[in-house]
Amino acid sequence: MLSLDFLVGFTIFLLALIMVVSMVPGLLAGLESSGIDYDAVAYRTGVILVEDPGWPVSPPWESKGVEHKDKNIIVGEEGIQRMGLAVSREAPNILLSAKVEKFFNDTFFDRNDYRSKVIFGDIPYSYRISLRSLDDTYHYMTGDLLPADYGYIRRVVKIKEPSWTEIVGSNSNYWTAEPTMPTQNFIVRFDFSQLRDQTISPVYQIDPRRESVNVTITKFEEYHNDTTNDMILQHIRFQKVGVADDIPFEYEIEDPDLYILRVDGNLHHLTPNTTVSENISLVLKPAATADFPLDDDSILNIHFTFGNTKISGTHNYDYKTPPLKTGVLEVAIW
Amino acid sequence: MVNDAGQLYTMEGIAAGLIMLLAAYIVVSTTSIYTTGDTHIPDMQLEQLGSDVLAMMDTPDSVDGESQLVKFIETGEGNDLREAFLANCTMRSGDPDNSLRAQVYLSYRRTGGNVNTTPISREDESYTGRENAVRVTRWVQLTGNPSLPPDMPDDMQRSDPQTVLVEVLLWRA
Repeated sequence: MLSLDFLVGFTIFLLALIMVVSMVPGLLAGLESSGIDYDAVAYRTGVILVEDPGWPVSPPWESKGVEHKDKNIIVGEEGIQRMGLAVSREAPNILLSAKVEKFFNDTFFDRNDYRSKVIFGDIPYSYRISLRSLDDTYHYMTGDLLPADYGYIRRVVKIKEPSWTEIVGSNSNYWTAEPTMPTQNFIVRFDFSQLRDQTISPVYQIDPRRESVNVTITKFEEYHNDTTNDMILQHIRFQKVGVADDIPFEYEIEDPDLYILRVDGNLHHLTPNTTVSENISLVLKPAATADFPLDDDSILNIHFTFGNTKISGTHNYDYKTPPLKTGVLEVAIW
Repeated sequence: MVNDAGQLYTMEGIAAGLIMLLAAYIVVSTTSIYTTGDTHIPDMQLEQLGSDVLAMMDTPDSVDGESQLVKFIETGEGNDLREAFLANCTMRSGDPDNSLRAQVYLSYRRTGGNVNTTPISREDESYTGRENAVRVTRWVQLTGNPSLPPDMPDDMQRSDPQTVLVEVLLWRA
């Protein structure tokens, strides 16, 4: 005959056993939770793209090559280490248009480049990365078609486009009635301490060592001196204020990776000695300026030498940037 | 046959049961599996999105431009703020993500000195029955607006520059 104490004790034991047994199915739940991994990898990739400027920073990675395309690059040293699209670490979510255009160039990069320089990890993930601006001027995509299930992150960004300065011929500040002879000099000055003024948000600072700068002179006919002869652009030189000599550079070789000079719409190198009648446009890229011996307080002069003109003076490169463009970047990983 | 001697067996049974429960709990908790439900990853994605949108709305498009967020607050356009916020959240490279909803709150210091929180956008038609809402916030610096628009709270101090907290509740309907 069972005693009451035994029954009570056995009941409590059984209740405890039932509770433990009911927890057993949790032990059998799948340990391969790859769905978490995909979301985490997508998030990490989104952070690298949107909050990191990439590596190297100066000269920036978008001016560099990749090992399998450029045999001169020593693996892991001179080439691109990491592709990030942010203007700088201090300006997250603000993307630089030059980095965006280079990143989505999949004739230049292949899948292994994206995996090793953006996504990282040992597993060869499939990916789809897209960027779209609100006004649809940026609509890029790289990767594969989406499957049914994938890890995902969406980041809202703004895109910063290159700055420019325009000197219009009718600007009397640079017109002189008594031009120097036989040549006339005109200088566009980049005062780095002003361009990188720390009182201005890093989003709006201009650093010619990291982004392209554009100098355009229009209505150049206003500076014509003797109209029986043509105006001549002899050469353009780069100078650091405080140093007597010109900055060493290949002034007589055209190199669109370093600069683009157009005189009346035609491409030239920096010693064109050609006639000019309407406009001059010089785009100086960070791949060139990053190699100049400049620091954060330097002043860089772009020195134009003309013939038969009435131009003179120094123009300080001022802040004219197109408005930032809102966009969305999406990363899918599977 | 019930007497005092049985009490010891009962106590022993209870103690044994408790020890078993404790042992089982310790064993199971050391092998707990991280599942998608536990990590609230969809919440994190939504929170990151909302935080990005508030940051971008507070970034002027040019060095001398105006922050869109400050402008909405200073002109009392809470509904327009909510619409602009959602327009940025729903943007995708394909079709927009139209299932998102939002409600905007403003925390400010009253003229009396204490802090008040008030909704500044209309209640959404999907307000009830939501789940997994996330809250994103941003401190906004106002320049001081002596003639505050009628939609803003009456007891909000007007003349001095001040900092207010914009909170947006974001969920998937």
